[in-house]
Amino acid sequence: MEPIVEVHNLHKQYKKRKTNEFTQAVSDVSFAVYPGEILGLLGPNGAGKTTTIKMICGLLRQDEGTITIKGIDNKKKRLKALRHISAVLEGNRNLYWRLTVRENLEYFAGNRGKSKREVREKIERFLRDFHLKEKEHELVNRLSRGMQQKLAIAVAMLADTEVILLDEPTLGIDIETSYEVREILKQIVKDAKKTIIISSHDMDVIQDICERTVIINQGQIVIDEKIDNLLKLFAVRNYKLTLGAPLTTEQQRLLREKFPAYQYEETDHLQAVIEVDLAGNEEFYDLFDLLKLAKTPVESIDREMVNFEQIFMKIVKGEGGNGLAQPS
Amino acid sequence: MAWLNLLKANLKKEYLELKRYLPNTIAMILTFYIIFLGLFGVIQMVGDPTTQDANTQYVIVNYIFWFLTITIINSIGYEVINEAMRGTLEQLSMSPMGIWRIMAARLLSTTVINLTIVIALLYVSMATAGQWLNIDVVTLVPIMLLTLVGMFGISFIIAGISIILKQVQAFLQILQFILMALAFIPLSLSPIIQFLPFVKGFDMVREVMIHGVSLSQFAMNDFLVLLASALFYFALGLGVFIYCERVAMEKGLLAHY
Repeated sequence: MEPIVEVHNLHKQYKKRKTNEFTQAVSDVSFAVYPGEILGLLGPNGAGKTTTIKMICGLLRQDEGTITIKGIDNKKKRLKALRHISAVLEGNRNLYWRLTVRENLEYFAGNRGKSKREVREKIERFLRDFHLKEKEHELVNRLSRGMQQKLAIAVAMLADTEVILLDEPTLGIDIETSYEVREILKQIVKDAKKTIIISSHDMDVIQDICERTVIINQGQIVIDEKIDNLLKLFAVRNYKLTLGAPLTTEQQRLLREKFPAYQYEETDHLQAVIEVDLAGNEEFYDLFDLLKLAKTPVESIDREMVNFEQIFMKIVKGEGGNGLAQPS
Repeated sequence: MAWLNLLKANLKKEYLELKRYLPNTIAMILTFYIIFLGLFGVIQMVGDPTTQDANTQYVIVNYIFWFLTITIINSIGYEVINEAMRGTLEQLSMSPMGIWRIMAARLLSTTVINLTIVIALLYVSMATAGQWLNIDVVTLVPIMLLTLVGMFGISFIIAGISIILKQVQAFLQILQFILMALAFIPLSLSPIIQFLPFVKGFDMVREVMIHGVSLSQFAMNDFLVLLASALFYFALGLGVFIYCERVAMEKGLLAHY
């Protein structure tokens, strides 16, 4: 299958105004998104997510590299590429607060050259599906943040493009509305067969709706993998060992050396617990060799369940270790 | 058809916002009228009685057209700044119609709305002063259309600068006085100034409204200068705007928040 969005060797740097130095925002970023896929673009603050999203939207020009949307180079034929893409970048800030819900929908449709008649049915459907019908004549500045967010998504949907980019779609909204937004997004992918690229700090949202994730840190991709694979991989690797005696000082030194991300706790004089991330069999053997040094009894071994947020933190901190798929 | 839909959408938006900010609009019109009354009063009290009528007529025409240039040219600058701060400029920039077409639609819309206000103000000013100017529609329409084309060019330059410079408000305030000079300057001062933006157009409007010159009485050269000036400033404005948009996309300046 041909990718619908292809990002290849993207580079972008900004010049600092005061010092005239350059900051590398994005460096050698490449990934592809396939039709119907929901991709989570993640990274800590300042990692380069928004820069990447804005370059895909054609709002920011890359210094090097190419972005194609449905095979159209978005630098060379920007307006043609924009026919296939829409975005919610700042959520409620992307709306006209002195216009009503319906007026915003009609205005943005008009700005894409569509007539009121063309979009009438779709507006009705979105007002219904997004639970905005009762508020259709309400000024946007009188809506709750969650309602505004839903309207911003409806505006993007009305553009009827194959690709939708969402930058922090659940930022600043309550749990109930966040859940509602997630359900709407799932429905969009299911019914409208859209391709969605979503950037969020809310790992629950990413875990809930995305199939694949690209994690960016310091402007570079550190992982490009299916979320299910990551969950399985990290679930297998995370272990909790309950010991029948505390570790000796020498054992603790070796543990620190071999497994820097370990957690060790002595529950009382007779028991201790080690939580450790084991990437493969070799590390398992190393741990048992270490325990064998003082013939430390092992009472139980449990596999720890990890959530996506913990996985994200491990990857960003560089604790991914071996066994992770490398970015394409 | 897409162009027409774009224009309709923007005309409706401009009208709705004008309606929603009605107190601001009323305050703006009242301010205009009070300043006009002040100018009129000064002419009546300290002006030379022999040239009083002529002076009043000049003030009406110049002041009305200055108001028109401010509402069209300055407002597009403020609008771009506001849109960039709100976050809507990025959303507009994502339209496959292209931001310059959206800005052109905005300009046309604000012009239609502001022309309506200006025409009403013109009649109110004439009634207040008791001076009835020559409103020869057949002669005024082509002159005004060409003058507005040049004015749109300058508006595009202002809009472009407003995208890339965050602290442009101070310049927009100074711009009001530059526009005042261009609206009030008589062409008799020097023939060179007819090539300045919309100076030729305003001079021809003055000739029609004050001296009663008709379409056939203008020399072909007058219209050629007006046309050349309009096309030059429009092309220049569009070029500057597209260049500024490109710079903004290189540097990530489409949002100012």
